[in-house]
Amino acid sequence: MRRAVLAGGLILGLAIGTASLAAAPSIVGRAAPDFVLRGLDGRNLRLSEFRGQVVLVNFWSRSDGDSRQQMPALDRINITYQRAGLVVIGVSVDEDLRRSKEFAAAMSVSYPILFDTGTAIGKDYYLQKMPMTILVDRSGVVRYTAVGFRRGDERVYLDHIRELLRE
Amino acid sequence: MNLKHRIVSIAVCAVMLSAGLAIGQTPPPADAQAAPSAETPPPAKGEPAADTPAPPADAQAAPPPPAPDAPPPELKTLDQEVQGLKKDVVDLNKDLFVLQEELLFPANTQVALYISMDVGTFFALDSVTVKIDNKEVKNYLYTAREADALLKGGVQQIYLGNLKVGKHELVAFFTGKGPVERDYKRGATINFDKGVGAKYLELKITDRVPKHQPEFMIKDWE
Repeated sequence: MRRAVLAGGLILGLAIGTASLAAAPSIVGRAAPDFVLRGLDGRNLRLSEFRGQVVLVNFWSRSDGDSRQQMPALDRINITYQRAGLVVIGVSVDEDLRRSKEFAAAMSVSYPILFDTGTAIGKDYYLQKMPMTILVDRSGVVRYTAVGFRRGDERVYLDHIRELLRE
Repeated sequence: MNLKHRIVSIAVCAVMLSAGLAIGQTPPPADAQAAPSAETPPPAKGEPAADTPAPPADAQAAPPPPAPDAPPPELKTLDQEVQGLKKDVVDLNKDLFVLQEELLFPANTQVALYISMDVGTFFALDSVTVKIDNKEVKNYLYTAREADALLKGGVQQIYLGNLKVGKHELVAFFTGKGPVERDYKRGATINFDKGVGAKYLELKITDRVPKHQPEFMIKDWE
């Protein structure tokens, strides 16, 4: 009896897990929702103004360890590929703007860091876990998304970036 | 014609056009393609008939009949028809856009707000916040490119909405860099009467040269 209950519970859990995975929305293949945000240097940047270039948008949070690891890797990618037509944009989703700005200044990356204190952009991009990395092609369509970061992931990003830059 | 009739007629046109495009893009049947080559081409307009008198000089200068290898005139006209249908689709899209505006923002409730900048020596625009009847309806951040476009004479429609007939208050807050690169925030207010027609308002940023200050105005376009 107990085994039957356990087996039933396991099957139910698997079914729910599969259903939630299947229901997880994705923006790959859709036009990247446009946004305009203020940057660390006080200038405003609009995503759609980079149409014609390959754009890597990185949503990050100061409190997330993976984000801290990812930023230097993205900085290296930006330095290498910006002349080839790649634009890297970091978007902080922290609510504490002051501390987020301090953190971004301390990281001193070569790409622009924007600050989003609202919730609309997060909803548009289905942000669930930080960091989230999105690649947008030259025509403004989202082609790749990645959630989280582990060492070596930058190689996967590079494969996609090179492919998009060649298009 | 009322709105319902227009919607129905446009929908019917859309269906007909899409059907026409589908027909236009499919290749013609084999027998239709083969038919013209089997027959002799039709005589040119100016070609003399056996029992008619000699044609005038200008008729002799008419182009010769098409060579047998040239595409038959039916295909040419079909191509022209497809091009015409494509143009119609573009026009239809335009009509649908106008219709959408008419439906969402009918003239009796429509309020449109525009923004323009003149000179801009004493002010670099960063953002505009608009409140109507104490409710925020728009908050717009300007990129350097957008601000530059305004400085070059561009006029931007910053807000389009609906308001009841009657008295209303609009407040606009402008933030940016003022003289000597200082952070600058100013507001402008207008009380206006919304009548039965559409209401057009313009936020104007100009330079007040004698005072070396920017000036913010809201103009009511009657």
